[in-house]
Amino acid sequence: MDFNYRMRLLTVLISMGVLAGGGLVLKKVLLPDSFGVYGPYRADAIAEAALIPIRHGTNTSCFKCHPHEAKIHKKGRHQTISCEFCHGTYADHVTDGKKIGTLPVKKEKEITTLCLRCHNTEIKARHEEVIKTVAMPNHLKDQRVKITHNCNQCHQVHAPLQYIIRAKQITGLMEAGS
Amino acid sequence: MNRRSFVKKVLNGSIAGSLLLVWPMGGGSLEIPVQIPGIKGRDYDILNQEFAFIVDVTRCIGCGSCCVADKREYNVPDGNYRTWVERYVKGFSDKIYVDSPHGGLDGYQHPRTDIDEEIRDTFFVPKLCNMCKEAPCVQVCPVGATFISPDGFVLVDEKRCVGCAYCIQACPYSVRFLNPVTKVAEKCTWCYHRVREGLLPACVEVCPTGARKFGSMKDETSEVYKILKGPGVLTVLKKEMGTFPALYYKGARREVI
Repeated sequence: MDFNYRMRLLTVLISMGVLAGGGLVLKKVLLPDSFGVYGPYRADAIAEAALIPIRHGTNTSCFKCHPHEAKIHKKGRHQTISCEFCHGTYADHVTDGKKIGTLPVKKEKEITTLCLRCHNTEIKARHEEVIKTVAMPNHLKDQRVKITHNCNQCHQVHAPLQYIIRAKQITGLMEAGS
Repeated sequence: MNRRSFVKKVLNGSIAGSLLLVWPMGGGSLEIPVQIPGIKGRDYDILNQEFAFIVDVTRCIGCGSCCVADKREYNVPDGNYRTWVERYVKGFSDKIYVDSPHGGLDGYQHPRTDIDEEIRDTFFVPKLCNMCKEAPCVQVCPVGATFISPDGFVLVDEKRCVGCAYCIQACPYSVRFLNPVTKVAEKCTWCYHRVREGLLPACVEVCPTGARKFGSMKDETSEVYKILKGPGVLTVLKKEMGTFPALYYKGARREVI
């Protein structure tokens, strides 16, 4: 065993160490933190995806400040409809407990358009057990009202049968309390 | 102070005072009941979660509430859709006509008039991310920006995405799109940020007929668990692609792709 042989061995070992160390340093520099915790991706991205601001509340969030509407809405056939679908997003109205804007209330023909989004018979894909549909303007003619009537002139939009049931009770077509 | 202004002030004061008593002082941060039990306020065990999404085609009325909610929740730029609703029209010759104007964002106000033959059946099919267990979009991502999180969500790392659009080509369900504003290849995430707070995805929350259902498979009382455990027929889209979606369709005709 001469000196040369040992030197060569040492050189090889040192260069291997340098390569491996350099590789580790490069990996550290090039790969973002938390990469590879769960797999070949940045684990922090999961937490980031979970931190997007929530913009939609639920009906309960709306009912908290609107008890009058809540009372009507909860009783009616439209109880499954989200407030935010017709009125807009919770986050556009309240942020951090403060009112930041007014949500629009649909008016006149907008209401009819909105109603027919769901209740139009002509689409022929809406089954009776899921939703009650009407054909316009036949429905207006059948009910003997003006053809220019909007839906909300007979139907309370939050509880569509409220006025109708009441009217039937008054005229004796339906027993009170039923 | 004259008499008029005095009376006015007293009246205003008493009205305001009584209103304060009557008005429930609302506000506070988003206060929401628990929709997915066992998540809010507890340590979220990311390694021990499983969620499922069920779309009941027979209950969808094509109102487009889900599309509107989705656009609002994420401020999705016009012309891009994280979720959309397709209208399938089936003629008596078994020919299928599919359309989805504005992704169903404006609802379906009118029947189709451009079909010559007699129509046999019309139905709506809501589409969203299938959350594949073997996701093609994850496989092809060259930078590891799309990944399957340990709780089964296919998510996008917005900081890592370079916008190469490989995933857009790879997704068999056409769910991915390049956001023209952020230049990130985005996708439906089943509202991951809401789920982590124990809330239902926005589209499920607003669906008036219950056509969209979401829940935890670890919770034996959840609706999706009961449906998936039960005898009803459930299908997944493009089963032959071997993507193993966590999105199931109930009542989808065989024509639905």
